[in-house]
Order: sequence, then structure tokens, then C-alpha cells
Amino acid sequence: MQEVKRKYVIPGDIVAEGNFKPLGNVFRNGNSIVATRIGITESNKDGTKVIPLSGIYFPRVNDIVIGKILDHSSLSWSVDINSCFSAHLPAQDIFGRDFSPAHDDMGRQLSTGDVIAARIAIFDRTRDPILTIQDKDLGKIPTGELLKISATRVPRLIGKRGSMIQTIEQASSTRVTIGQNGIIVVSGKDKEGINLAINAIHIVEVEAHTSNLTQRIKQLLNVPESNIENDDTQNNHEMNDDKVISNDNGKEIGMVNSDGTK
Amino acid sequence: MVQNRSLIDESGKRSDGRIIDELREVKIKVGIIRNADGSALIEFGKNKIISAVYGPREVHPKHMALSDRCVIRCRYHMSPFSTDTRKSPAPSRRETEISKVIREALEPAVMLEDYPRAAIDIFIEVLQADGGSRCAGITAASVALADAGINMRDMVSACAAGKVDDKIVIDINDTEDKEGGADMPVAYMPNLKKITLLQLDGELNPTEFNTCLEEAIRGCLKVYEIQRSSLIEKYFGDEKGLKE
Amino acid sequence: MSLSKKSTIIVENLRKKQMRESVSAGKRLDERSLDEIRPLEIEIDVIKKASGSAWVKLGKTEVIAGVKVETGEPFEGLENSGAMIITAEVLPIASPHIEPGPPDEETIELARVVDRGVRESEMLDLSKLVLVPGKIVYTIFVDCSIINVDGNLFDATSYAVVSALASCKLPVFEIKDDKVVDTGKTQEPPITTIPVSITTVKIGDYLLMDPNTEEEACMDARLTITTNSKGSIVAMQKGMKGYFTVDEVKGIAEKARIKGEEIRVKLEGLIKLGK
Repeated sequence: MQEVKRKYVIPGDIVAEGNFKPLGNVFRNGNSIVATRIGITESNKDGTKVIPLSGIYFPRVNDIVIGKILDHSSLSWSVDINSCFSAHLPAQDIFGRDFSPAHDDMGRQLSTGDVIAARIAIFDRTRDPILTIQDKDLGKIPTGELLKISATRVPRLIGKRGSMIQTIEQASSTRVTIGQNGIIVVSGKDKEGINLAINAIHIVEVEAHTSNLTQRIKQLLNVPESNIENDDTQNNHEMNDDKVISNDNGKEIGMVNSDGTK
Repeated sequence: MVQNRSLIDESGKRSDGRIIDELREVKIKVGIIRNADGSALIEFGKNKIISAVYGPREVHPKHMALSDRCVIRCRYHMSPFSTDTRKSPAPSRRETEISKVIREALEPAVMLEDYPRAAIDIFIEVLQADGGSRCAGITAASVALADAGINMRDMVSACAAGKVDDKIVIDINDTEDKEGGADMPVAYMPNLKKITLLQLDGELNPTEFNTCLEEAIRGCLKVYEIQRSSLIEKYFGDEKGLKE
Repeated sequence: MSLSKKSTIIVENLRKKQMRESVSAGKRLDERSLDEIRPLEIEIDVIKKASGSAWVKLGKTEVIAGVKVETGEPFEGLENSGAMIITAEVLPIASPHIEPGPPDEETIELARVVDRGVRESEMLDLSKLVLVPGKIVYTIFVDCSIINVDGNLFDATSYAVVSALASCKLPVFEIKDDKVVDTGKTQEPPITTIPVSITTVKIGDYLLMDPNTEEEACMDARLTITTNSKGSIVAMQKGMKGYFTVDEVKGIAEKARIKGEEIRVKLEGLIKLGK
């Protein structure tokens, strides 16, 4: 199979001709694979896709997201996850199976405006996403500075095996909690470190698709080149996008802690 | 409509100095409305139009949502100061009709099934109108949709052609629209080669009609090049080249 | 009928906490001090078909105003005055929280407050815009389209109206054979003063000038004050369900006068430049 050169595309552009498997943000029209979004094409033996550079967050099962409590009904909280659907966190997730609004006070646990890290437990074409906060490191986030970036830049911010975000965390002495939906919370002891981390995050957001980004970030953070793994390899564009047409659950997504664990 | 006076002079110049197969100047700036998911400002001759897209987003009221695809809402609206005579802020019948044909011009390009139970809102605001505002609006909306990262099978490019002084001309301006012989706005998906908007106001015989349609499509393709370069400039302008 | 409603914008508790800590140390989340205004950019004559126009950017809030002039009957009781009508519409492109439809009570309040600020200051000498006393006068429309919302629509819209009016070229009409005729000439508008609106909000015990969307979502009360070139107050409007003390009001008024003068100088400069 012919190697396809990477290129910039807008909707309607032909990405490749021939027997490629359409993966993400492309469709087949006769013999051509056509792009459906603005982005950078990527072709390998698995197929052809477009890594998008814009677009709001579209929920996926198992994504870690950071959300904001809006309200609650008698059975669940409604959560803004910065997407086209409101998500719901069932009261049972916190109170257990024998939850009853009569004796369990939902407002005490989570109130309007609270920020939580949650995992999307259920989501399909027929209903709004259902969240859970029962895993490790999920739940209410009590302190930190909150910021928003485009969801399409999150994979680049995390980096290969978390390398980019770890570099930023270590150099600024902060802990950065990243939601796949583009919401980020930075916490740390001193303001300077936090500002440094926020600065670096903004630069990654704007320059995500460019080459030598890791180098520039390291320069900004005054990190020596030698000892940290350089992920500016051929596949520099770490914007692994598994959306829409096929769901490659093998790819690395999700929140990263400063010790590299998820 | 029958013309009352000549709109093309002896040297072949139209009321704004163009020749018959010349488009007005088109400029597009992407991402101009910070709050929107996608947006574009288009200047098409003296037309000055902003299109903004919010979506996919929640449908309000919830019962209007469709289970297998998204709902597209489209509003074409003119600011009171946009026309020669001030226009009342209340929506007019003309705006209602144009909102509908614009929605129907853009919907074929959007992959509606990718966003079940959601809405995509497309707003077109005319700040200054000078003939061909619906074509300019569609062109800007298509760029705004791409800017918003909405899955589309193709862009939609629009341009009008018409008849002035019994000659087929491309890209009708306001004077030609009001006083000329015919006005045919067309919207076209340039890669799939499909027409998604077609209207006619005036009289064209079969030969004139064919020529007029071809001219309008030629205009759409020129407009497409500007849509493309405006998007490339915003998203890839700084990058000197991709690493292989 | 006016109803109290649930807020459309819910600010994260984390952000509110950040805001409280920051403001008590004298700085806002966008690095401004409490009585600092965001960068103000004004471009005039952006709509060539209008007699006058202005595109105002106050931080990320953007408003376009256009002036159109016609002739018509004077308002009742004002037979020797030109007529001036100011409208405002928050366009649905401006924010994810706008639903297209007829203006809601907030938009109507906005248009009326901006109108009062300009009208009560007598910025335009309407007595100079009469063709046939009691019968035919100039009707000046100033229509505002708000295209991006990031707080403080009152001031941004007011600056747009003032800039559009101060920089416009009015047509010259005359009566010929009992008909109104546009002579094709233009005239300078009869400007007597430059009104400047300054809006301050109260969050907890703190007073912040020129609020952005997030600050407005946290505000308890709001006070908009318009002053004229002499430093006199010509219009005021308090909003939201919180309250101000007498001292707070006096303090806000004084600051609005001083800041108003700074903005006035800037407005006059920008309008002159544009001409």
C-alpha cells in the first residue's frame, strides 16, 4: 500500500485514493477517502484518518472529564462537561444502592458550582452521558486554578505516555488534572509555579500541531535537554484521535498524575 | 424584470466598474466571534456579513431533539443599519424565507447522523448588504461550520449570476439586483459537484439559463478558493511545513 | 411582567474562591485592578451605507452601532425637536446563552438606559434638526448590534452609540414643492457634549469597574452612571437584587466621573483620528 504524505486538509479535500480503511473524520466516496474536518491527515497500515484541529468535546465512554455541578433532581446531579450534552451523576454512585432522598442529602455531598473529576461510564446515541466518580483520584476537586483549552489539543498536552504534561508538572512543581473535555485544574504551592504551568499549557494549546514543540516548552520551563525522553519523533503529531468512526480503545487517553500513573 | 436603463456602459464597465465576468473582491476572516464555536466575517464587495456557529449543542426545548440525527437551526437576519433605507428590527418575511433556503443549502453538506439528539445553530448576521447577501452568508456559514469542527462531506460555496443589458454577468450587485433583467443565486459543493441552492428572479431563455448557471458555478469555485485560503491561514498559517 | 429567574451562568466554586482571594489582594482574575477598564478599541465608519457607525471592542465585548437618518413627524410634546431613537439587540451570535426572539427585559433595559444617557445629556442638539416645526423633523436612528458578549454591555453599547453619533455625517434635507428632498450634501451633527457611561458592580464587599461575564455572574448589584463633559451626572441605573450603601454610591459616582473623563478624552481622540 502506498504511503500517503501528511497534509493539511479542510472538509471535502481528498486525503487518499485507493484501498485505505477510513478511520476518523473521513469518509469513502468511490475510490477516494475524503476529509470531513479541518486537520492533519495521518495514514498507516491500520487506515487513514484526519487529526482534527477544532471542534467541541464529544463524549466517549471511559473518558475522564472535569465537570461542574449545575443542579440536582431527586435521583442525580446534572453536570456540565463542556460538551453538547449535559451529563448525569446518579446519586447511587455516591450513596450506594439503597440511596433514598428522604435520608440522604444530595446537596451536602455536591452542590451547584462544585468541580468534579469523573469518568464517563455510559454513553450511546440514545441518551445523555452517565458519570461515575468511584475510581481512584476521581471526585470533588476542592482547590486549584481552573482553565479551559480546546478538547482537540488534550492528547498533545498529555503527550506520549504522559511525557509532555509530566515535563510541565515537574518543572513547575504543580499537579495538573486534565479532563479529555478540555477542562484543566492546576494546583501547587506557589503562584509562580502555577503561572508557569498555565503559560506552558496555553502555548501547547496554540502550537499543538507544530514541530519541535517539546523543545520550545522545555526551553520555556528551563528544563535541560539531555535527560528527558525526547518525543519529537517522526510521529510528532501526538494528536491521537480515536473519535467518531472507529473507537481504538488501545490508545492512551485519560488523566495523568505526576508520578505517571493514571 | 424589464430594465429601465442601461447598466453597462460603452466600454463594457458595469455600475461598479467591473467587466461582465469579474467577481467583486472577497475577503474572509475566520474566528472573529470569540464566544462562538466557529465563525467567519465575509466582505463580498460591499456586503459585510458575520456568520457564527454554535454546535453541536443541547436542543432547547428537549422535545424538539431528533433521535437519530441533529437538528439544524438557521437564522438569516439583517441589522437595521445594513440597508440603504433603515430596516425595522422585527424579522421580515424575506428574512424568514432566506433563512430556510440557506438552511437547505447547508444541510446536505453536514453529516447530521454524527450528532444525534443535538442541535447545530447557524446564524448569519448582515451588517451591510449590497446584493448577493444570501450567497455571501452561505459562504461565510460554511467556513464557520468548518471552523467549528463539524463533520461535513464538503464545503458549500455560493455565488450569483444574472442578466444585465441582455448579457450574462457574474456576481450581481445591489443596483443590478434591483434594476437588472435576472438574478440567479447558486450554492454548490465544489468537490462533490452538487448544487444545494438555486433560485431565480427574472427572465432567462434556455440558452441564457445554461450560461447563467455555468457562470454562477464558476463564481462558486472562485469563492471556494478564498474559503480554503482563509481556513488554511487561520489554522496552518504559522507552520512552515509538516515533518514527514 | 418581570420574573426572577435561575441564573443561566453558573461559575465554578473553584473560580469563585480564586476570585475572592485575588480581589481581596486588589487584583482581578484577568490581572486588572478593581477600578481598571479593559482595553477599549473603537473603529468608526465601518458601515459605509450608514450615516455614521462604530465598532467598539471593550475587552472581548463587541458592539456595532449604525446611524440612519430619515424624516418624519416629531414626538408628541416635542414639536420643535428632531427625533432620536436608540435600539439595541444582542444577536444570537454573541453568546451561547442567547435564544433568538423578541428582546427580553434585560435587552430592553439596556437599550433604554443607553438611550437615557445620550438623550438626557443632550449630546445631540435636536432643536437644530427640524425642517417644518411641528410637522417634519429629522429622525435619527441609532441601532446597536451586540456581536460578542463578555460583560458590561451597558458601557460598550453606550460608547458605540456616542462614537457613531459624534463621527456621523448627517444628510441635509430640504423642503421643495411641499416634498422632502435629500440635497445630497452632508452636515456635521450638532454635538454639545460627550456622555460617558461607567458601570461598577459589587461582589461581596468589593466594587469592580467594567465587569466581564464571569464577574457579572458573581455580582450582587450593579450601578451604571453616565456623566457629561462638565462632569455632571445625567443618568443612573441600579440593577440586580443586591444593594449599595450611601457611601458606596457616592464613591462610585466620583470614580465614574473621573474615569468618565479619561474615557471621554480617548473617545474624542479616536473620533478625531477617524475623521
